[in-house]
Amino acid sequence: MADILHVGIDLGTSRSAISASNGERFVVDSFVGWPLDMVAKKVLKRDVLIGHEAVSNRTMLDLHRPLERGLLKEGSEKDVEAVRELLRHLLRLVGVNGKTEASNVRAVVGVPAAALRTNKQYLRNSMKGIVDSLLIVSEPFAVAYGLDALLHTMIIDIGAGTTDFCVMKGRYPTEEDQRTLTVAGDMIDTQLLKLIEERYPQANVTVYMVRDWKEKHSFVGAPPSPVVVTAPVKGVPTELDITNEMKAACETILPPVIETMIDLLARIEPEFQERVRTNIILSGGGGLIRGLSDALENALKSVGGGKVRYMEDPVFIGSDGGLALAIDAPEGDWEKLTA
Amino acid sequence: MARIERVKRRVLRQVVAENLDVIRGVPPRNARNSAARVWLRRTPVLLLVPLTLAAYLARGSASNRVAPPTSAAAAVVGGPTLLAPETSTSVERVTSAAFPLAVKRVVLDAGHGGSDPGATAARVSEKSITLDIGHRLRTLLEGEGFEVIATRADDRTIALKERARMANDSNSDIFVSIHVNSIIKHTASRGIETYYLGPPSDPSLTQLAAAENSVSGYSLADMRKLLDGVYADARRDESHELASIVQHQLFNTLRASDPGLENWGVKRAPFIVLVATDMPAVLAEVGCLSNEQEAAMLARPDYRQKIAEALFHGIRAYASANDGPKKKGTPSHG
Repeated sequence: MADILHVGIDLGTSRSAISASNGERFVVDSFVGWPLDMVAKKVLKRDVLIGHEAVSNRTMLDLHRPLERGLLKEGSEKDVEAVRELLRHLLRLVGVNGKTEASNVRAVVGVPAAALRTNKQYLRNSMKGIVDSLLIVSEPFAVAYGLDALLHTMIIDIGAGTTDFCVMKGRYPTEEDQRTLTVAGDMIDTQLLKLIEERYPQANVTVYMVRDWKEKHSFVGAPPSPVVVTAPVKGVPTELDITNEMKAACETILPPVIETMIDLLARIEPEFQERVRTNIILSGGGGLIRGLSDALENALKSVGGGKVRYMEDPVFIGSDGGLALAIDAPEGDWEKLTA
Repeated sequence: MARIERVKRRVLRQVVAENLDVIRGVPPRNARNSAARVWLRRTPVLLLVPLTLAAYLARGSASNRVAPPTSAAAAVVGGPTLLAPETSTSVERVTSAAFPLAVKRVVLDAGHGGSDPGATAARVSEKSITLDIGHRLRTLLEGEGFEVIATRADDRTIALKERARMANDSNSDIFVSIHVNSIIKHTASRGIETYYLGPPSDPSLTQLAAAENSVSGYSLADMRKLLDGVYADARRDESHELASIVQHQLFNTLRASDPGLENWGVKRAPFIVLVATDMPAVLAEVGCLSNEQEAAMLARPDYRQKIAEALFHGIRAYASANDGPKKKGTPSHG
């Protein structure tokens, strides 16, 4: 019998991460592109490009970002193929030949907390032939599992497409324990681009540039330092101060995130509310926004105070949790979960 | 440590069971249980679509949107008041499995009309194409025993609010809105797409929906109330199923006549007629007038008949999947 490889996959709108039981971990941008024509194919010398390489060569590619709001786009065969290419790529990175060794792979894939059954079934169908067995779980639950934070904890997982909330009560979270907002990193990018274009109408800025700036300089509250970036203005590289725009764009997510956090807290049995309030964990790329945990703690003061922790390794926290689930799931269960 | 291991084993059993339910098509376990308890007063949570649309419509400055809400906070401080069962708002999730539907009465909404021509091409306008397809579809459906409510039977202006009211007052089972696309920036493309209610698939759809909704007849305050219903999942599941079937039938039928036709898929968007109607609702973009070849096809009666037949087969297939159509005079379950 061939060796079994367990993997945890955080299939993200912006980035996808994989953690494997052989110790390998990788993260790639969730972009897949096919050369637009024969010339592009000759230049690129590849049938398909994935991740950062795809973004860098996007002018020559039919570029797809197959996951939106954390879910596989429905009804688009090209996006299904793109997500399959992305999965094969992730598995190749951890040492799996997607064509011949699929029967050895047991995967746990995280999806947004509020994903519908139809979304899960669609994802399951799309992964046929790529992995042997598949377990689909709520992404914030995977995070909680990986941290052993299964009791009296709230996970707030801020990704690009969705912000997922999950209250752990020592059981697999039900729909009442979870929320998904589509207020997330992409919305910040859109808002930041708009604000920069309004202030610097002559500047030539793309959403890709804005995303990079956000990842380096995002903050809420008081600016830790001025945010100055360089962008072409009428073709001349020019320094632009975008401190106010960065603050305003990042703070657009605060009201819905705070409102949802407090709404979920209000639904917890009263005797456990304080324990959960003091055990809130931020994960996902949005966890890197400076000042966010402070802002959430400030909001919690009006309900008795609380503690919001930020995890140091937010990129792999979901895939690591998925891997932990994959390893812990009993052998007999995996046999029932064939992809 | 022993305790956490026990908890882990328990949640693992539960997550495997949930996955097996998905594989077998069994409704979610918590949907089969009783309704959730609510310990404190609910505060409506405004999710992305309300925020996005409100922001789009209001076009306020970003700085106006950062003040943390306080009402929910006050509710928590107020203490553990056990309240009445849930009856309201936007975010509680219910599954469609709880509401097996019988499809008896269908609302057909021919897009645009009167002073609003919709998209136009050299020889045709969207309002006349949708009306003609609506007439043809009505004939097919009535021949099969469905009752049909048409939001317009001739060339007249009818506000979106009025269309939704007609649908809701008629106590119909499904709502099908017929439209024709026009994508000026991509005149080389032509395709079919079907929408159901949900957060928009991309930012351009939000703007498209906002533009389409601008003559809705609803105030911004009305809009917010309506949007509170965006996440009513039972209807969304059904709408998604209907949209998928309609899209499949449209594309497969029409591709035979036009091999260059593209499948643009099933998408989500907050069009007013989808937001404000009470029943499973879809909006089908059955063609693309900005494409010269497609415009010529849409001008042909035999092609419009094919569209009507494709929509008919889609509606009939959906009805069959929900206990089959009820003939006139047969009491419905509802």
